Amino acid sequence: MAATEGAVVAGGQDPQPPPQARAVEPLNPAVQQQLNLELIKTRAISLYKAITRILEELGGLARTNAVPRWQYILGQFSMVNLELYNIVEEIKNVSKAFVVHPKNVNAENATILPVMLSSKLLPEMEMDDNAKSEQLLHGMQNLPVPAQIEKLKSRIDMIGAACESAEKIIADARKSYFGTRQGPSLLPTIDKVQAAKIQEQENLLRSAVNHGEGLRMPGDQRQVTSSLPLHLADVLAVNDGTQSFSDSSGMYQKNTPPLMSTPNNNNQSTLLQASGAQLIGRAAASPSTGSTSFDNTTASPMQYANSPRSGANIMNTPSPQQQSHQQQQPQQLQQHQHQQRQKMMQLPPHQQQLLAQQQLRQSSMPGLGQNQLSQLHDMQNQTQPKFQSMHGQHHVQFSQPLTAHQLQGRQLTSAAMHMGTNQLSQGNQLNRQLNQFSSAANTALFNAAQTTPTSQMITNMSAMMPSQSILPRMQQFGMSGGNRSLPAQNLSDQMFNMGAASAGGMMPIQQQQQHGTQGAFGNMPQGAQNLQSGIVPMQNAQQNHPNFQQQRPQNQQ
Amino acid sequence: MECVVQGIIETKHVEALEILLQGLCGVHRDSLRIHELCLKSVPNLGLVSSEVRLLCDLEQPEPTWTVRHIGGAMRGAGAEQISVLVRTMAESKVSKNALRLFYALGYKLDHELLRVGFAFQFNSGAPMTVTVSSVNKMLKLHATDEAVPVTPGIQLVEVTAPASSENYTEVAAAMKSFCEYLAPLLHLSKPGVSTGVVPTAAAAAASLMSDGGGTTL
Repeated sequence: MAATEGAVVAGGQDPQPPPQARAVEPLNPAVQQQLNLELIKTRAISLYKAITRILEELGGLARTNAVPRWQYILGQFSMVNLELYNIVEEIKNVSKAFVVHPKNVNAENATILPVMLSSKLLPEMEMDDNAKSEQLLHGMQNLPVPAQIEKLKSRIDMIGAACESAEKIIADARKSYFGTRQGPSLLPTIDKVQAAKIQEQENLLRSAVNHGEGLRMPGDQRQVTSSLPLHLADVLAVNDGTQSFSDSSGMYQKNTPPLMSTPNNNNQSTLLQASGAQLIGRAAASPSTGSTSFDNTTASPMQYANSPRSGANIMNTPSPQQQSHQQQQPQQLQQHQHQQRQKMMQLPPHQQQLLAQQQLRQSSMPGLGQNQLSQLHDMQNQTQPKFQSMHGQHHVQFSQPLTAHQLQGRQLTSAAMHMGTNQLSQGNQLNRQLNQFSSAANTALFNAAQTTPTSQMITNMSAMMPSQSILPRMQQFGMSGGNRSLPAQNLSDQMFNMGAASAGGMMPIQQQQQHGTQGAFGNMPQGAQNLQSGIVPMQNAQQNHPNFQQQRPQNQQ
Repeated sequence: MECVVQGIIETKHVEALEILLQGLCGVHRDSLRIHELCLKSVPNLGLVSSEVRLLCDLEQPEPTWTVRHIGGAMRGAGAEQISVLVRTMAESKVSKNALRLFYALGYKLDHELLRVGFAFQFNSGAPMTVTVSSVNKMLKLHATDEAVPVTPGIQLVEVTAPASSENYTEVAAAMKSFCEYLAPLLHLSKPGVSTGVVPTAAAAAASLMSDGGGTTL
């Protein structure tokens, strides 16, 4: 029904005529077309008719009290419902433009609907709106809206154009102001001589700023003679002053200027003594015979209390390790590193080369192995360690890695100590590996060990004990296990037993190495595989292997 | 990353430049007194030697330290077309122990200089900093109180702006347009490219000084 009526109407009559819009603005033609008012009007009318018919029928039924034909009436209702739905659909498309069509009126929006539906603004907003439009349109209120719009647009354009021209004028004015201030004369030229001078100065300045040319001072002038400015005074300790010059050979002096002498045994022993003095503190916490954990450091100094040490300075720092293992060792390691470097410089060239080789291996292990071997030698030979310097070298290698892993090392070492005795068999295998580490340096160490005084050895040996930081590093390199095995065992046995025998002036590095070896024990059972793998890199160690093996039995006490 | 240009100006025109900059930037000028220590690493510290600069700002009541690493500049045809130098730069505030740290790491002092001047930090399309300073060298190590200018008659003008790899073209453009404002007094160019002084500098300075004297901000 609605469809046929719609079709009839679709003849395309004119939209609602403007007379209706006398008071109201006519709808936008597009909206009108979309809205298709005719169609909707027709539908609305048909819907009205249908509802009227139904009402009449119901009225008639009520009067006659007849039984209604429910099915028929329900059918009518459904028809009405459908028509209503169609009308709403039609309107919906365009109603968004100017009506709010709530789909569902329920408790929630029932109260707010009136406000939302109202097109009248709140009073304040309305006043605001009025004021602004007044201001804007004060001359144009009487004109029709399109005209007003046009006028506003033209106003905006005018302002935009004014801005652009203003910017342009300013730019031109600036250029001309600066450029032609001189007046009639053209651009002034700089005479050539002056230009050349300026060019020269400019090059000086630019190179100074960008590359530092002309600012570098020769080495001899790089001494801090005058007092440091405030901001550097507390940053640079006076001792550090000589550390930092690229010209210099990189010698690091740490309170031991007298040690910078030519390399010879005497100097080394002096050096060792002095550095030993500093490093002895680390020695204090030497582990006792292998069963005590490394944290238990009180016992160790006592063992050596009566041993003839190189100086009275051994007991200066009784147990720094005890106090703060982890913090101190890194610091000490750094200090030791500095001192070790000094010693490095003093070593004979071949030893230095060896050290370089060792360094290239990228691990503390080779050095450690050698140190251990040399320690082993010491213990066995009761010789004085000239290899202290070598240890120093190794120490240089270690200290950096060691600092990172000291805690780990310590933990491991204590375990190692407990397991030390069980590992001897394994150690034997690894011992051969250790021999591979021996090298010219080791031989030299061995030889050197002959010459240093016993007391120094003792001191150093004891000093060697506590350093546990090597352990983790060794583990990491795999080879460590191998290194630690036998030598550690021997060393620990012998060192602790010997006591005064050979400690002498061994460097703290030895100390560390010792610990490393001890720690190895702990690692061995778990790290047996590591050891095996570690052995492989050990293959490229130097050749004095047979020497050591032969020497070691000879040197057994 | 940063965009940077440098230029030189004769010391006699610095005041005029300051007036011009004050007008252009509209911010307060910051005095500058920076002790710059350039540290180089020793060869066995790495594959190539690296350089790090420690800047100590002496202007503050409490000296503040900054560490700066200047990396390589952008290269290529695109870089040549840009009129500013774009280079990697990493900077951070550090404590005063930074110097000791670097020494301990193995860095050695290569050279040091003292910059005395002023700077303006403002936003002109991109946040940038203009620094006008006299570069001084110290005859004795660390003797900042006895520093003498490397070139007494010429000061260095540097304009830097932080940039990232996404926006460096915009930053470069903003910097370029700002530099045009300074054209009457000095030319700015990439570090390493020398510019000479501008012929109009004297005239521009004179005009700035004459007017600037009358209208104090």
